[in-house]
Amino acid sequence: MRFLRCVHAEFLLVSPRLTRTRLGISLVALGTTLVWLSAHALDALTVTLQAGALGAILSAAAIVGDETDRIALTTALAHPTTPLAIATGRWFAIVLPAATLAMVCAAATGWRTDVVVAAVIAAAAVGSFALVLVVALGRGAALALFLFMAVAGTIAPERLVDLARPGMVRLAAASAMELGPALWHYRDIATGDLGAIAHAFAWVGLGILLASASIGRCRSALH
Amino acid sequence: MADYALTLSNITGRGLGPASLALLPGEIAGLVGPAGAGKTRLLRVAAGALRPITGEVRVWGMRVTDPAARRLIGHAGETPAFPRTLTVDEVLTYYARLHCAAGCERAPRGLVREALEIAGLTAAADLRMDSLGRADLQRLSLAQAALGGRRVLLLDETLSGLDVFARRDLRSRIAGLAADGVAVLIAARDPAVLERLAARVLVLRDGRIVRAGPLATLLGERILEVILDAPPAEPPPGFRVTAAGLEAPLTGRTVEAALALCRAHRLPVRASRVRVKSLEEVVLESHDAY
Repeated sequence: MRFLRCVHAEFLLVSPRLTRTRLGISLVALGTTLVWLSAHALDALTVTLQAGALGAILSAAAIVGDETDRIALTTALAHPTTPLAIATGRWFAIVLPAATLAMVCAAATGWRTDVVVAAVIAAAAVGSFALVLVVALGRGAALALFLFMAVAGTIAPERLVDLARPGMVRLAAASAMELGPALWHYRDIATGDLGAIAHAFAWVGLGILLASASIGRCRSALH
Repeated sequence: MADYALTLSNITGRGLGPASLALLPGEIAGLVGPAGAGKTRLLRVAAGALRPITGEVRVWGMRVTDPAARRLIGHAGETPAFPRTLTVDEVLTYYARLHCAAGCERAPRGLVREALEIAGLTAAADLRMDSLGRADLQRLSLAQAALGGRRVLLLDETLSGLDVFARRDLRSRIAGLAADGVAVLIAARDPAVLERLAARVLVLRDGRIVRAGPLATLLGERILEVILDAPPAEPPPGFRVTAAGLEAPLTGRTVEAALALCRAHRLPVRASRVRVKSLEEVVLESHDAY
């Protein structure tokens, strides 16, 4: 119960950020662009998945990416909470706006429940991955991930892997594409693919744990 | 052991210790030393934010890692950092929710109101972080550290870099907390800021406490200042040359004896006065002696 209350306290930080930072306007701009693209180039599933994933990355950059916010995590740890509660709460705060954006895009492009479920799960997985990257590396990492996800979300993975020369680089690229959160994986959630669902949920758990470890690093030994 | 609000026993770590200290409830102890002496590190160890290699920290007899102990100890870091988009009230509400999550009888709103009053921030409650000046940031840092009725406060440079009015105000607020039984360990690079606050001073050098004692004892030593018409070629034994003339500690001799020594050396004495040693001098002497 105490853990959930701490998570809730973290989660409540989301609303001031939506209205007082560029997060709100960025999400609106992203949604508008994706809906426009749905009328010209992209199918509804791609648009909804992109809305969830890219919205999660934007949220992560706004919610944990600011340098002061990252330093402030150590102040939070001086109070009765845990790194895991902070990571979980921030993850919720990241996923909620992204999931809302995905639902709005789904409604604009023709509501399909299976597509919305896939987009929300994709937002959860990508949001968790973005949380780890941004807590550890800052906003720059969020920008890199945003660009990668925007591209990898529309291009078939085989074509991306083929860009690398045969050998170790291609093997590494193929492994990263296979293991990392990617929208081509999560498209299959809409068709009920259990492997894709397991992949996404594994990233949710792993991401929160890694972010929690990163947040708790300030309690490392004095060696 | 439980009579002490805070005890650090044989703490060692990288660039730290061995260091031991004990703080009584209501006591204000100042931790002074140059930059890099280990003040921040020692405070973070005391707060449980850093784990020492050896030794242990106890808060009211409980290990600092114990959740109950962590509810009793507040830490204000050297550089106050709070989420930039939030207001003072929202920041404190966030911390108050964490306290109430751990189980407290009072509502978060009550804790926030009390913390705002402790730090004198009631009028600034609706201001956002990016519009706060240094003094208000330090007040907020004190407010978050004291929030939830904490009984031990670890304040890192809380009085540094402030104008005299803000410093006087914060000093009286910290003294007020101590009067209510809160133990305070406050670090400062400049010892002068602690002269009217700390009852006990600990001088830190290279992570070790090289001198400690009640402020009244440390400042008890008197200094004779002698103003001369012309600078001396060589000072008498026990004197040192200053910009205005000479000065010497009055340990083991009277003013008359010291002035007689000046006259014996045919020095043109214009005036003399006796003053007490400043904390800055005590700290510098302690630092140089080790």
